[in-house]
Amino acid sequence: MSLPLSGHSVARFGPASFLVHRRSVAVAAALLVLLFGAVVASLCLGESSVSPASVLDVLLGRPSPDQLVVGELRLPRVTVGLLVGLALGLAGALIQTVARNPLASPDVIGVSHGASAVVVGLMAFGYVQTARQVPWVAVAGGLAAGLLVYLLAWRRGMHAQRFVLIGIGISIALSSLTSLFLTKGDGLQAQQAKVWMTGSLNGAGFDQSGYLAWVLLASVPAVLWAARAQRSISFDDSTAVGLGLRLNRIRLGTALLGIVLASCATGAAGPVDFVALMAPQIAVRLTRGAQLPLCCSALTGAVVVVLADLLARRLLAPVELPVGVVTALVGAPYLMWLLIRSRRGGS
Amino acid sequence: MHRLEARGLTLAYESRTVVEELDLTVPDGAVTVIVGPNACGKSTLLRALGRLLRPVRGEVLLDGAELAGTPTRKIAQRIGLLPQSPVAPEGISVGDLVARGRQPHQSWWQQWSAADEQAVTEAMARTSTTELAGRSVDELSGGQRQRAWIAMALAQDTDILLLDEPTTFLDIAHQVEVLDLVRRLNRERGRTVVAVLHDLNQAARYADHLVAMRDGRIVAQGPPAEVVTAELVREVFGLDAVIVPDPVTGTPLVIPGAPWAG
Repeated sequence: MSLPLSGHSVARFGPASFLVHRRSVAVAAALLVLLFGAVVASLCLGESSVSPASVLDVLLGRPSPDQLVVGELRLPRVTVGLLVGLALGLAGALIQTVARNPLASPDVIGVSHGASAVVVGLMAFGYVQTARQVPWVAVAGGLAAGLLVYLLAWRRGMHAQRFVLIGIGISIALSSLTSLFLTKGDGLQAQQAKVWMTGSLNGAGFDQSGYLAWVLLASVPAVLWAARAQRSISFDDSTAVGLGLRLNRIRLGTALLGIVLASCATGAAGPVDFVALMAPQIAVRLTRGAQLPLCCSALTGAVVVVLADLLARRLLAPVELPVGVVTALVGAPYLMWLLIRSRRGGS
Repeated sequence: MHRLEARGLTLAYESRTVVEELDLTVPDGAVTVIVGPNACGKSTLLRALGRLLRPVRGEVLLDGAELAGTPTRKIAQRIGLLPQSPVAPEGISVGDLVARGRQPHQSWWQQWSAADEQAVTEAMARTSTTELAGRSVDELSGGQRQRAWIAMALAQDTDILLLDEPTTFLDIAHQVEVLDLVRRLNRERGRTVVAVLHDLNQAARYADHLVAMRDGRIVAQGPPAEVVTAELVREVFGLDAVIVPDPVTGTPLVIPGAPWAG
């Protein structure tokens, strides 16, 4: 069937029909292949190199002499990186959709700063003792900061520009608070908090980060819902309401989903900056669609974090950098480019 | 019974009252044009008719039911609206834009039906945007873009169409093209159209029912030939003018006086 909207196909299952953007599907498939390659490379490379064949043996559960290095040491770390990347890419796409602004992302509008401030505060003064407590505290802090920004930006409706500006303001305030905690806290604990702050997958394992997989799985229906709503919230408010959208409800739902995902990711690995900012913009340039692609943004985020962590481990080996340092090295110039471009009157 | 009605409508932004105690019955199957000086409340009234603005007092009735109590999606199946300066998603193609007008008729698991296909194809044919389908909306000329937006409102397939200054930013040829299109839609498909227009002469030419507003009140309404008089123009716009018949259509044509011409 020929469609008036180019680049789309219709998938029909009985009475149900779904619009599919063909290029997005192709990009998602390519990203999956790339992600698999990045994961295998990450499992191969390290202090001791392991052959890809041996890595595949471990992944498929076949006996292998490298079971300890690959299965016990590297796999948990890579998996957590992958999950964090998925969650951050997705969160970035959702928040940028609501804010209609490529500058908005959970790490710009205060979510990761909120998580950091609360975790560092409680860690530095010895209230958080075990790694198991960190995610819960981070999620609570991120949610509180995100919702605070949302409420402050709310005045008879959500204004996108106000949302970003208030978010940046709150982020700065929370960063100062974090610095204060770091200097005032007890020596050793403050040091520990500092390491967490740079966003590291070093020593990350399933037991304290496995919850992220469940959160991602549970968010699938909500993401499908958001993907549909996305088709109309990228219009101006009047047009969106004219199309029958309950705009405020949809904005709140989308933002909330983004805030929860970003908080959970921060809880698992500390603030890994700039991933949520970059991933959706890279993805949309690949798909060339009319809205930020949710699935492709998540996959891009995962590729970015897995590759960044590989770089972080191998760049100055045997010294391991925190993954957040690598993403910041790439992300900060990108943010500057965005700012310069928007000052020149770009969108 | 008329399908769209306003009763005792008071509209305000924050605490500034713009429209007060206004009653309006929109005639079915006709083109109604609202005119008036800047800030007279005409766009505000149109926004309220399209449930974009909640009345402070009074009500808007659609098929006898209060708009405020009707699910917004149900309203979207009966009222289509084109705001003054709509914003399209970045990089969207014309075909995709028009297709999104089908949103109120679709659901999560029914994203594209034969009816959607037909409505979109027809809307694009009517507005001569078919050959633009693959083009990006960003790169269209003003006239083409406005036709694409009208096509989207048409694809929504509603009996009532609200247009807020659909000719602003267009040159005269494109203004006429858009208004001719609106008129044809009304004549050929029986759509009820309510439009806000800036140009009194265009309003007189295209309206079946003309509504003249000033300071948030309706000063006069009826067929243009009866409503547009020298007294009304003076009262509503504060302008001295001569009214002559339009040489082409015979509708009233407002010629402003020229005090400087001695």
